[in-house]
Amino acid sequence: MNKYLLSKKLIINELSTFYSFLIGLSIGITIGSIILLTQGQNPIEVFSLMLKLSIGSVKSISSSLNKATPLILAGLGISIINSVKLWNIGAEGQIFMGGIALNFIYISSEISNPNLMIIFLLSSSFIGGAVCILFPAIAKVLFGVNEIITTLLFNYIVIGLTVYLVNGPWKDPGSLNFPAAAYVSKEVYLPTVFGRLSYGFVICILCTLGVHYLKEKSVFGYELRIAGGSALTAIYAGINAKQKAFVAMLIGGGLAGLAGGVELLSQTHRVSTGLSQGFGYTAIIVAAITGMRPFGIFLVGSLFGALTIGGSVIQTMGVSSYISDVIQATTLFGALIAQFFFTYKIIRVSEDV
Amino acid sequence: MNHIILEAKNITKSFGSIHALKNVDFYLYESKIHGLLGENGAGKSSLMNILSGIYQPEVGSIHINGNKVKKLNPDFASKLGIGMVHQEFRLINNFSIQDNLTLSKANIYTDNFKEGYEKYSDIFSLSADPSTPISELSVGEKQKIEIMKLIFNNNKIMLLDEPTAVLTPQETNQLKISLKKLSNEDNKTIVLITHKLKEIQEFTESIFVLKDGVMVAKDLETKNVTKNDLITLMMGEIKQSDISKDNKKGTEKLIVENIYFENMHSNVPTLNNISLKIRSGEILGLAGVSGNGQVELANIISGIERQYTGQVIVNGKNISNQGVKVRKNLNLSYIPENRLGVGLAPGVSIIDNSAVKDYFKSKFGPHLSTNKMLDYLNLLITQFSIKAPDPKAEVSTLSGGNMQKLLMGRELISNPEVIIAAQPTRGLDINAVEALHDLIVKQRNNGSAIMLISEDLDELFKLSDRIIVLYEGQIVKEFAIEEADIENVGLAMAGLNE
Amino acid sequence: MFDIQLMGLLNATLQAATLLFIAALGELITEKSGILNLGVEGMISIGAVTGFMTAINTGNIFLSVLVGILSASIFSSLHAFVTVILKQDQTVSGLILTILGLSLSALMGKKYVGKKLPVKIESVFNIDEPKNIIEVFLNQNYIFYLSIFLMIFTAYLLKKTMFGRRLEAVGEDSKAADSMGLNVNKTQFIATCVGGGFSGLAGVYLTLSYVPYWTDNMTSGRGWIALALVIFGGWKPYRTAIGALLFGFLEALVPRLQTYGFELSPYLVKITPYAITIIILIGLTIYKGGRTGAPSNIGIPFFRESR
Repeated sequence: MNKYLLSKKLIINELSTFYSFLIGLSIGITIGSIILLTQGQNPIEVFSLMLKLSIGSVKSISSSLNKATPLILAGLGISIINSVKLWNIGAEGQIFMGGIALNFIYISSEISNPNLMIIFLLSSSFIGGAVCILFPAIAKVLFGVNEIITTLLFNYIVIGLTVYLVNGPWKDPGSLNFPAAAYVSKEVYLPTVFGRLSYGFVICILCTLGVHYLKEKSVFGYELRIAGGSALTAIYAGINAKQKAFVAMLIGGGLAGLAGGVELLSQTHRVSTGLSQGFGYTAIIVAAITGMRPFGIFLVGSLFGALTIGGSVIQTMGVSSYISDVIQATTLFGALIAQFFFTYKIIRVSEDV
Repeated sequence: MNHIILEAKNITKSFGSIHALKNVDFYLYESKIHGLLGENGAGKSSLMNILSGIYQPEVGSIHINGNKVKKLNPDFASKLGIGMVHQEFRLINNFSIQDNLTLSKANIYTDNFKEGYEKYSDIFSLSADPSTPISELSVGEKQKIEIMKLIFNNNKIMLLDEPTAVLTPQETNQLKISLKKLSNEDNKTIVLITHKLKEIQEFTESIFVLKDGVMVAKDLETKNVTKNDLITLMMGEIKQSDISKDNKKGTEKLIVENIYFENMHSNVPTLNNISLKIRSGEILGLAGVSGNGQVELANIISGIERQYTGQVIVNGKNISNQGVKVRKNLNLSYIPENRLGVGLAPGVSIIDNSAVKDYFKSKFGPHLSTNKMLDYLNLLITQFSIKAPDPKAEVSTLSGGNMQKLLMGRELISNPEVIIAAQPTRGLDINAVEALHDLIVKQRNNGSAIMLISEDLDELFKLSDRIIVLYEGQIVKEFAIEEADIENVGLAMAGLNE
Repeated sequence: MFDIQLMGLLNATLQAATLLFIAALGELITEKSGILNLGVEGMISIGAVTGFMTAINTGNIFLSVLVGILSASIFSSLHAFVTVILKQDQTVSGLILTILGLSLSALMGKKYVGKKLPVKIESVFNIDEPKNIIEVFLNQNYIFYLSIFLMIFTAYLLKKTMFGRRLEAVGEDSKAADSMGLNVNKTQFIATCVGGGFSGLAGVYLTLSYVPYWTDNMTSGRGWIALALVIFGGWKPYRTAIGALLFGFLEALVPRLQTYGFELSPYLVKITPYAITIIILIGLTIYKGGRTGAPSNIGIPFFRESR
């Protein structure tokens, strides 16, 4: 009789997260196909259209990358915070807070040079995100309050604030059927690099490189690693783990806020409840399945952006948007399970002599 | 003649690429006390974990009273009467004694708990009320509960893994008496797993010896075996080195004055009026059972703990209440007893761990140069003979000995002025212990002032020039090495002075 | 007049509290075994939609409740599988469960938006406009009484029975529990599925009694509040009930504020329950000095072979 044991692999293949995502994607597509068939749709038609409209042309690739930008930025922020084994579930709220902060600064200040103004606005969105996570960060570092719950609850506070603002003080009378703030002026729209590809994506690339440097090559990143490994070792090494964790959380929140600011200046051009459609939560999972690696987050995030664009586009075929939601969720779930097989070995054990 | 109650045949077990046990045979006689002797890493714990159902062997079989046993897991092993007391206790801290003794499914004292508890707390001389939470017991008391757990689960075969490691000499004696009672009067079969020769000879009737995963001697009659026989079987070649104690001592490098420290969780002072001095080229041994203030004192001297009154002076500089980095700049090294967890960060790579001491000194560049870190690691590897094939692997993939060499190498390579070493050789095999002792002595000869905190009296006697004994946060006795012996040090450790 | 209004407030409080409490109690049981399940929001949603669908199609309340409980329980077994068997990270798995649960239930419920229920879960004694506390209590429905029973039963189970003590042991120290012969994996798996079942019950209560209809985003964050409630209640059933009452009160209060003459934007007022949750949570953690009562082992996967 044979028995099977679990044994953790000593060193994990670097490409494993990419493979996990592909496996997850296959599972997602399979489940999606089954659902499509029950709805009387042809999966092959649907998926090939998805493929064409998400990565089949320069225009669609640009759209996909634009879509991926806030997801990647938020994910990068989450990966920094997770270095010290903390979770930022509040990225969704921080995205909105970034947008709110940007709009607030936009309304109250005047800088004639549009490029300077853009930089100023984006900086304020970063600060907005950091402010949003400030309270949970202080609560965690000073009192040990569970950051999962506090950052999560803040999402509801900020989204509630957004709803209040777009229905109240910032309500744009010109926007009739959808409550939203007024559009920012065209001067401060983020310009495009070429075609449709926004400069937001360039910011995204720069941040990926920056976060990679921060995590892998800087003294700060080293201190985070040690503190994340063992709080006691950090104390022993003379690292003020609490202070480092606090800074890491602020940076992480700031990046999510920046995601909101970039999304506003490049895509929506105004504050509304549609500024993020759950990217803050998806970013957590994307970051997790890539093992919190910046380049992985960039890659998987981009792929996920394509998946989202594809999903939204097939609505024109009469396919419910809910189906693409389910495909995305199943993809992530499948990727998580696939990760298991790359992290653990199964040993066969025989019974007798 | 007692019959064989438990037999293990041809057991083989590996962990990844490490072969823990190779074709091992092992058997126990009913109602006898057996000894399983072997160095650390010889495979003793692995064998015991297999017998108690925690690990599964890849090859081999187990027989109870002549009947082969199919699949063994802890639940089933317990039903068969096999129970184990581990080195790290498996007691639930926040639960009461009674909970810990009765929650197991194998508990036979469901209706008559009180009687059972009275009978056995008598045998063990335990005086705690059963509703006391485990967290309030002393280490020695916790161990008694662990052994009682086996009895309450109707385990007639009791495997005890290094039980005397945490006991004072007097508690060890008490354990011997309790175990003999259990074997003679209560029909229990006992196995003592240890690397300590003295306990094997005093406690047991039958000895088995494991060396490098192989059973090299079976069922030796204790009274007919000499210490040297056992040593040869256990270790093969003995690397004994004689430490000369005519080392030259120089200026005082570490002065500690009137330290008074209160642990947050209790009102009894954890450290009360501690003063000591260590000179260059001197090793001061700090004896005491775990939990009498050693860790706190080490944390204070190393700068980890800053809330205390008193003075700490290193090389003439008063650094009281200042932090770790100040110490590091004065070249004070601290080797903590918690190897993996404090000294080394689990889940972190070997190369990252090697830089813990000096990372902030721009030794590796203004940002962190991986190349410079790699050079530093390679230096440590060559100088201290560390086996670490992949710098990016997690540090816990190293063997215990190599982890300790990495830790000590990192702390000693700068030729420190002052060294605090806590339990530096705990859990390591003889060869590693010898190598590390040589390192310590070499540093002593280079002029370091060394504080050696250890529960291993043999180690203390071998290396120290002076021994002080810590009991309940106070220095109760000081001995020059010539005046110290097991008895007077042991008594002081237990708080009993003449 | 004022009396009736106050009783109306109490009535709404009890109903909102019941919903939150049932979900929180289920999560409490799961967490006591050492598993953190952040998927409560998704599980409530699954229970809500399946119960609603069954009610529309069969008109049988009892069957609907059963289907709701079972679906959520089966759904939570995914989380149990990933965290207990595959030993993956519990935070990530729970979040995926929420996303999956919400999107699946939105998909399934698409055709049912706006449909009218042929039956609801009626109150036991059906008192119109209750005038005092007793009448308010008698006006509640079966699920309310069930939740009281569950509260008492769970509290008793955890403290007084072998089964409950063993459950707590697994969550406190899984290695010690394993060495006592307790089956850690089985305990955690079952506790997770039971917790899921509770969330399903809460979901059914939502769509067949509290609201009662189906639309997108029905749960609107109640699952997250349930999670916070477990911490708030220090993992003790009675304390959790008090927390549920408090939040039920806030939820009931919000739409009534304007009628009481408070000139506040309804949007801002809607934020207050969440803000107050955080403040209370922080206050409690400080007050308890870090000893919140959490099962010591929570979130840490159990390995027998770890070396």
